[in-house]
Amino acid sequence: MQLDLSVLLPHADVLWRGAFLSAEVCVLAIVGSTVLGALIAIARTASSRWLRALAYAYVDLFRNVPFLVQLFFLYYGLPEIGIYIDAFTTGVVALSISGGAFASDAIRSGILAIEPGILEAAEVSGLPRRVIFTRIVLPIALRTSVRPLGSVLVNLILTSSILSAITLNELTGTGRIVASDTFRPFEVYAVLLVAYAALTWAVSAGVNLLHRRLNRGMAQDVA
Amino acid sequence: MRYTEFTSYDLILLAQGLGVSVGLFLATSAIGLALGTLWAVARFYRVPVLSQALTLLAELLKNSPVLVQLFLVFFGLPAFARINVTPVEAALITLSLNTAAFVFVIAVSGIEAVGRDQIEAARVFGLTRWQVLRRVVGPQAVAFGIGPLIALLVNQLQVTSLISVIGITDLTKVGNILNLRTLKPFVVWSVVGLLYYGAAKLVAHLGARLETRLRAYNSWRGL
Repeated sequence: MQLDLSVLLPHADVLWRGAFLSAEVCVLAIVGSTVLGALIAIARTASSRWLRALAYAYVDLFRNVPFLVQLFFLYYGLPEIGIYIDAFTTGVVALSISGGAFASDAIRSGILAIEPGILEAAEVSGLPRRVIFTRIVLPIALRTSVRPLGSVLVNLILTSSILSAITLNELTGTGRIVASDTFRPFEVYAVLLVAYAALTWAVSAGVNLLHRRLNRGMAQDVA
Repeated sequence: MRYTEFTSYDLILLAQGLGVSVGLFLATSAIGLALGTLWAVARFYRVPVLSQALTLLAELLKNSPVLVQLFLVFFGLPAFARINVTPVEAALITLSLNTAAFVFVIAVSGIEAVGRDQIEAARVFGLTRWQVLRRVVGPQAVAFGIGPLIALLVNQLQVTSLISVIGITDLTKVGNILNLRTLKPFVVWSVVGLLYYGAAKLVAHLGARLETRLRAYNSWRGL
């Protein structure tokens, strides 16, 4: 009963490869879920009632069904309808879809926080709706929702560990392999726990810096 | 003999899985709530060392994947401390501690949301620290924290799906079994997802009712 981390040294490069795959999945999924989240947030704040209802149904569904079930649905279901994609792509797609639901809530609250006067000014200036969205609504909304969006992204990184259930050997998946190779599961998982915690702390610290940088003009109001 | 079609017994299997999921959810939520509140009380009393250690533990549990925590308890503890841990015990320990960490954070911010001047006033009136907590801070902190708490519980219900990975026959595991037997992923995972969705909605609904009752003290009563 002693903690001996040196048994992991021969397996360090395998773990690194797993961590790298995790990072790859997370970066792709973060981009995907932010884009998807922005689109859904726009739909949820649209003037069309049907679009709003549709977007709400999407968010409600993907927030209330466990990620593992969504993942299995896609992983086992897609080949059934003739779409053959590997575990990596399935993982990125599933993470983006479910992360998008959570991200849309963060962005939506940013959109709702925009003063109506700003939108009225843009409309009076004769800007087309598309320009109002891309040049005025989204920049302000994304800027104010950096922090809630950051916690969504941290959650996404933690959720990416579940992808090991569909044979994708990211950090947790390689951890399982190393644990059964060395018969030292405690050391392996303790290291993984600390590694994930360090990674997510770093991400939230980065998000905080970004938040302060983007909102530097209105430090008194927002910070 | 091959049972590739759905049978009526599958319904019983699904109900059993749902029962296991909900049962573990209720048990771990109850333990987590009690434990997290206890930690917050320890922090309120500013117990030296203990409150810092608890804050660190809560941060670590919050910032690492539940799956890794589960593996650490289920595979790591037996190998490290030479004790036997059954899957159900591992799930109970992990999910309770995880819930406790989030409850701790919610409770601490709820306590901090109560104005300092109230505590000082109560102390001046001669209330003991326990009386302040029980009569002044506690009720208000509960009213502050109930919203995030309900969101947490809805989330923890979905986190229970992860215990299927260590071999507990919960709803997700039942879905896996049915999926492998019938090879109809769309039907199976839709039904499983729907059951989770219904359970999550029920928790949210009960939580919303509780919230209106707890917040009745400052709701508009009419003139």
